[in-house]
Amino acid sequence: MLLNSVIIILREVLEAALLFSVLLALSKQSVIKSQWIFWSVIMGVSGAAVFGLNMAVVSEWFDYVGQEVTNAIIQLMIYFLLLIFISMQFKLYLLLKDEPLYMNAQRYNKTQIIQRLRSMLVFFMIVITTLAITREGAEMMLYFFSVTRNENHYSSTVIGMIIGFSIGVSVGFLFYYLLLSLHQKWSMIIALSLLILVSSGMISQATQLLIQADWIEAQLPLWDSTHLLSEQSVPGQLLYALIGYESTPSAIQVILYVSSLLLPVFIMLYFWKSHSAARLQEL
Amino acid sequence: MNKTLLQLFMLCFAYSLLLNVWAETPIVHIKIQNHLFIPAEISIPENTKVKLLIENKDDTDEEFESYELNREKVIIANRKGVIFIGPLAAGEYPFFGEFFPKTAQGKVIVKPAE
Repeated sequence: MLLNSVIIILREVLEAALLFSVLLALSKQSVIKSQWIFWSVIMGVSGAAVFGLNMAVVSEWFDYVGQEVTNAIIQLMIYFLLLIFISMQFKLYLLLKDEPLYMNAQRYNKTQIIQRLRSMLVFFMIVITTLAITREGAEMMLYFFSVTRNENHYSSTVIGMIIGFSIGVSVGFLFYYLLLSLHQKWSMIIALSLLILVSSGMISQATQLLIQADWIEAQLPLWDSTHLLSEQSVPGQLLYALIGYESTPSAIQVILYVSSLLLPVFIMLYFWKSHSAARLQEL
Repeated sequence: MNKTLLQLFMLCFAYSLLLNVWAETPIVHIKIQNHLFIPAEISIPENTKVKLLIENKDDTDEEFESYELNREKVIIANRKGVIFIGPLAAGEYPFFGEFFPKTAQGKVIVKPAE
């Protein structure tokens, strides 16, 4: 029971911890106070409690596939919110990068834009992390209440959950300090790339859930990379949490995954081009 | 570029909806009782989509999980849940209950068509 609960909780916590660490590192660089994290934890935990307590009802929606559909909707929402967040974060990075170059009057104008971008970023971070905690937390809660019904399992389950939770949070901290230790430019590139991968992972998982619910037609897998990297192995689990790794994906899953990766890249390229054009005019 | 992609998705989506209407899906019943899957082994034909109707008779939730089938779903205590699997190639696909994995074990056997 102990090892099992370590693994279950670690898997759930890891996903949220990685997302948190990247967002925290980005907000530190964008000179945003990290107080937002308290709001997202409070709202996320409440959301998880509401979702978990109503899971029995939710499960029966849409002919007993309500769980899949609801989770897929949450994941799609996280993807699109992350898409907006990544675009705004990149825009802020571009503005902050050449701030010293601007003339006084221009600087005043830019400062206002930067302030507005910062408060919007905070808003998006709170909503994104709240949704993430709601989804992961509800499952942890169901697990906890099911397994601890048997009193023999109580202490080993609780200890296992605490160990799993601590490992997950530690990995998050490690990631956070790793990102901050890098040169700002590199740290921004890596953090944004990670966010793009995490967001595409959401699309991959949502597609998988909709196939499971038969809302998207199932197909034979396009390939089977189980012998290269099993989803059951530790690196496989880590990659699943980080980028939504799937060892036997179907064609529609691959198509949606790749396009969800390309979309933010195109948006950032567009911002970068228009920003450099505008800067050339200003100077 | 983006517009073409979007149109392609819409097409894929519409196509998959259409297929759903035509297909007639066989149903397989599985019960969860005393943290066991009953029956623990089910046989289905290859290249066929199957609807698993899982009924949890225990007072505890259970999570149906299978890496081989790519499926994961919480079945709430004393409630039912539906999971679609397949079309699959012939072979064995183990599944287990993630909350009580010591006892809750089973497998889907996909038989080749005659």
